[in-house]
Amino acid sequence: MTYEFDFAAVLEYWPLLVQGTWTTLRLTFFCTIFGILIGAFCAVVRTGGPGWARHLVGLYVEFIRNTPLLIQSYFLIFGIASMGVRLPILVGATIALTINIGAYTTEIVRAGIESIHRGQLEAAECLGLSRVQTYLHVVIRPALERVYPALASQYVLLMLASSILSSVGVEELFGMANRIQSDTFRNFEVFVVLGVLYLILAVIVRAGFALLGLALFPRRRKLGTPL
Amino acid sequence: MKNLTRLVTALAISLATTAHASAQDTLEKIRAAGVIRIAIDLSVPPWSYKDDNLTPTGSEVEAAKLLASDLGVKMEIVTTNGANRIPNLMQNRADIIMSALSITDERKKTIAFSLPYSGNTTSVFAPKRVEIKSFDDLSGKRIAVTRGTTNDGDITKMAPSDAEIVRFEDEATTMTAVVSNQLDIVAIAQSLVDLINQKNPGNDLEPKLTLRTATMGVGMRKDDVELKKWIDEWVKTNLANGKLPAIYKQFQKTDIPPQVMAEAK
Repeated sequence: MTYEFDFAAVLEYWPLLVQGTWTTLRLTFFCTIFGILIGAFCAVVRTGGPGWARHLVGLYVEFIRNTPLLIQSYFLIFGIASMGVRLPILVGATIALTINIGAYTTEIVRAGIESIHRGQLEAAECLGLSRVQTYLHVVIRPALERVYPALASQYVLLMLASSILSSVGVEELFGMANRIQSDTFRNFEVFVVLGVLYLILAVIVRAGFALLGLALFPRRRKLGTPL
Repeated sequence: MKNLTRLVTALAISLATTAHASAQDTLEKIRAAGVIRIAIDLSVPPWSYKDDNLTPTGSEVEAAKLLASDLGVKMEIVTTNGANRIPNLMQNRADIIMSALSITDERKKTIAFSLPYSGNTTSVFAPKRVEIKSFDDLSGKRIAVTRGTTNDGDITKMAPSDAEIVRFEDEATTMTAVVSNQLDIVAIAQSLVDLINQKNPGNDLEPKLTLRTATMGVGMRKDDVELKKWIDEWVKTNLANGKLPAIYKQFQKTDIPPQVMAEAK
């Protein structure tokens, strides 16, 4: 049971690790931005849109949440390519991940919207706010604030789930680690380093969300209390 | 103590002589029995596999048949898998191996090889319409390869630095990427490209650049000197008269690697 650790052999490949980390971060960043936009939009449609649109969003959410991410990315990267549309692999992967996270975000934000008390909407109506104004100021912002911790966790999960995409040819952190492993055969060390890197990344993503939260929700910034 | 030494020496000598005796005998034994036992792995198309009627065929099987008939004996296939090819031979369950056995220095420590009679080439493949004459032509292009294989190592070394190498987790995914047209240039073994071309005839992948050639020989026990002499002669004759190259071409859909012809001279 003696194993000679040789981290030097792995850390020699640091440019690959940096490159992989960068790809993972970029992937997470774009998916977060577009995921939240899609999620917020779909949640509004699902709670207050016309009947057919609600069903359509419901279909999207159920379909995406009940099929594996890997199959969704195969579909976008290989499936669409066989029909003649060739997306660059990183773009295909970003789209697949965004569509995926969008569905989860929809459900989380919907829970937030449904938690807004009817009295708030009636008050907005009494003040003469338009429908758009009501949604922007009375519904969406408090809804997001309320589900913000759940959202942050979901996006950390998204960052971790992006490792799946290495199998469709994305050279993100996990893919890079596999390459180092097949070069050095020091798989134990590679996965120790990989674990530490993902942990650091998760801390970074969480810190990013905390800062974003302070910027987005002045009420919380000033009062420091949960909604 | 002295007695013991003597006993050991006597044993060693008798063992050596029996081994020697059996060595001389394998060729004679095959002739006397009228049958040669050949270890073949029947799960590697197009090298050796069972056709739709479950009859063994493939370039290795046909070459083995030719060898048996030239020797004037019947062929008996000892079915094996990749890992058990050499153990089968060493435990005397088979007389020779003809099962896409690449000649390597590692294996030469254990068994003897005949002159190469076959080979396998890994290459960079691309559709006919894509013009690739040298590795420099790969610059700026995307190449599919399976992560961690010798192909990966070779193409990473040989491709220009601005070529984008897209690595997939296994050969199946690499093939999916090519069949689905996600990428058209791929570094892979010839036998897999034939499968891709069958499934996706529109693309017509053809070999553009050679990455590596492995040569394959008949595997024998090291002491079968007479047998090796006969088989070496057989390989030379049948490479020269075109019978072995014809079998190769029939199954592998490509010419026998020139390196095989060169080394067998």
